[in-house]
Amino acid sequence: MKSARALCRCVQIRCVSMAVEMRLPALHKHVSITPSQSHRDDKHLVVPGDVITSDTGFMRGHGTYMDEERLTASVAGQVERVNKLICVKPLKTRYNGEVGDVVVGRITEVQQKRWKVETNSRLDSVLLLSSVNLPGGELRRRSTQDELAMRDYLQEGDLISAEVQSIFSDGALSLHTRSLKYGKLGQGVLVLVSPSLVKRQKTHFHNLPCGASVILGNNGYVWLYPTPEQQDEEAGGYYTSMEPVSRADREVISRLRNCLLALAAHKVLLYDTSVLYCYEASLPQQIKDILKPEVMEEIILETRQRLVEHEG
Amino acid sequence: MRDTPLSNCERLFLLKAIEEKKRLDGRQTYDYRNIKITFGTDYGCCIVELGKTRVLCQVSCELVPPKDSRPTEGIMFFNLELSPMASPAFEPNRQSELLVLLNRQLERCLRNSKCIDTESLCVVSGEKVWQIRVDVHVLNHDGNLMDAASIAAISALSHFRRPDVAIQGQDVTVFSPEERDPIPLSIYHMPICVSFAFFLQGSYLLVDPCEREERVKDGLLVIAMNKHQEICSIQSSGGIMLLKDQVLRCSKIASVKVSEISELINKALENDRKIRKEGGKFGFAESMPKERITTLKRDKAPVEMTDVEETANDIVNRTETTTEVVPSPVLVATGTAQVGEGIVNSWGLDEDEEDEPLTEDRKTDEVMIISDSEEEEVVILNEEAQKSKKKK
Repeated sequence: MKSARALCRCVQIRCVSMAVEMRLPALHKHVSITPSQSHRDDKHLVVPGDVITSDTGFMRGHGTYMDEERLTASVAGQVERVNKLICVKPLKTRYNGEVGDVVVGRITEVQQKRWKVETNSRLDSVLLLSSVNLPGGELRRRSTQDELAMRDYLQEGDLISAEVQSIFSDGALSLHTRSLKYGKLGQGVLVLVSPSLVKRQKTHFHNLPCGASVILGNNGYVWLYPTPEQQDEEAGGYYTSMEPVSRADREVISRLRNCLLALAAHKVLLYDTSVLYCYEASLPQQIKDILKPEVMEEIILETRQRLVEHEG
Repeated sequence: MRDTPLSNCERLFLLKAIEEKKRLDGRQTYDYRNIKITFGTDYGCCIVELGKTRVLCQVSCELVPPKDSRPTEGIMFFNLELSPMASPAFEPNRQSELLVLLNRQLERCLRNSKCIDTESLCVVSGEKVWQIRVDVHVLNHDGNLMDAASIAAISALSHFRRPDVAIQGQDVTVFSPEERDPIPLSIYHMPICVSFAFFLQGSYLLVDPCEREERVKDGLLVIAMNKHQEICSIQSSGGIMLLKDQVLRCSKIASVKVSEISELINKALENDRKIRKEGGKFGFAESMPKERITTLKRDKAPVEMTDVEETANDIVNRTETTTEVVPSPVLVATGTAQVGEGIVNSWGLDEDEEDEPLTEDRKTDEVMIISDSEEEEVVILNEEAQKSKKKK
């Protein structure tokens, strides 16, 4: 027989100008790791309309409502119970801010004495002029000149990393960039995932050993950028280097981006260890192959195994 | 809910592409997307698809007393609605600028151009006239709502039939569609809007902008024209400065596009009329393509049969007798699936193989080797089944 070898359900046809890859339909083999079986029994998953309990002794939290004396879920997610309080943590939701969260946002408007920042939440967040660092790091009262120079610092369309300072009564977040690690973001790649996938940790800024840095925003915006060489920031979040990024760095960042998309597709919690393991598991593959479903499954399987071993 | 803002990278990319005369979907500067016009089962209902932009238009009529200033003319009422189904940026019951703009342009295009004969809509002068109501709903927003809305409106108006009336003295009888055939509206001409988007301070223009292109545009020029090259309305928005020859050039392009679109509308109306007359099935359900994967479909391949017997005998004589006869069909190599005929995989990775007809492959192939798998043994059918397969 001629050399028409079908490799793992993938056939290549060489057309006139380019190679086209075709995948034939095949039965999916679902492989699950046994340690997670016990996990699954503990989770109480509900969909909107599911009755959580008929016991009236519980207080209702977020994601629930009272329907004829029965506590019913209003979102799809996992039920969490703290003593007498029952709430449902949704799987897919807009970002609900907490004080102290690190977020990555995009400036949508420049208003008087403040910027409006889009952070994947129900309302646009607010970045007050008094909450940003002035160039040179001086501390003084903001004058009208500063107000007029707002646009020189942050314009519509710019990306920033900031921390949630407080929450307004209507639910809008007030951000601040009062530390040197926050500020305008320069060259890099933005990946959008669901906010519920980002794990709450002590720090959200990581310099990965593979050669890139990542900011895991709590609002689901993940920023990948090349690790800056010198760590001294006299400019204080102002200076964004426009020097060309080397090809090796760009490849690392592209691979990380595809890994993040793979992790998000399989609903794996995102934190520095999981991202790193996924990166290492994907090294034998080509960067563009990571997005193929069967390759994604393999990589995620390996990542999950390593995470389970790592945790105990 | 506000739409996610466009990132700077995307904006720059789009503008750079436009500078190099390239568009996201590969069109040329003056190309329209695919226009598809379908009519519903009721008269006066029409869906227009301009690429991914979908617009539904429904025309209805009612007998009302006329306006005091014009007692012998019928009334035309236009209403365009942006449903939240079309885009997350559209909120229900919210009067946005875009909505007002579209409504006014639609009115200007159809009412002020006097394309419908309103005098023919009068039943009893001063007392009863027909009010024709045109409702346009935007189902999906992928750019250029104005053009799609105007095409939908004029197609629906041309398709619409109003009930027949008979006046005897003071009595007015309105016949139902079963009693007497409804009559079409008298339409003088078909005005169609053509939109031109300008970029980079008017240096580049694009016809029929898609949604991404609309977000980075500087200004918009809408020309409503009919196929007799009469301009019904021109509107420029966005505050860009246009030169005289730019506007003239746009009007020339518009006349070409309008004649094409008018032809398309007439063809669609003609098709619908023919199908209704022949009694065939019409309506939206028929015009939707049936998207099914036909798993059992097999293509017929011609097989050369002149010396089948000799070849078969040859092969049979050469084989050894098999030790076991398995009733089940041949197990193909793991991973291959059946596409077309199945079993014999005549795709090759060499260039010549693609042109080789299927028949030659069959003849030169030895029956034994069907797959080049690394399994120890390949289970095959008994010889009779093979021969019958060959004879097929």
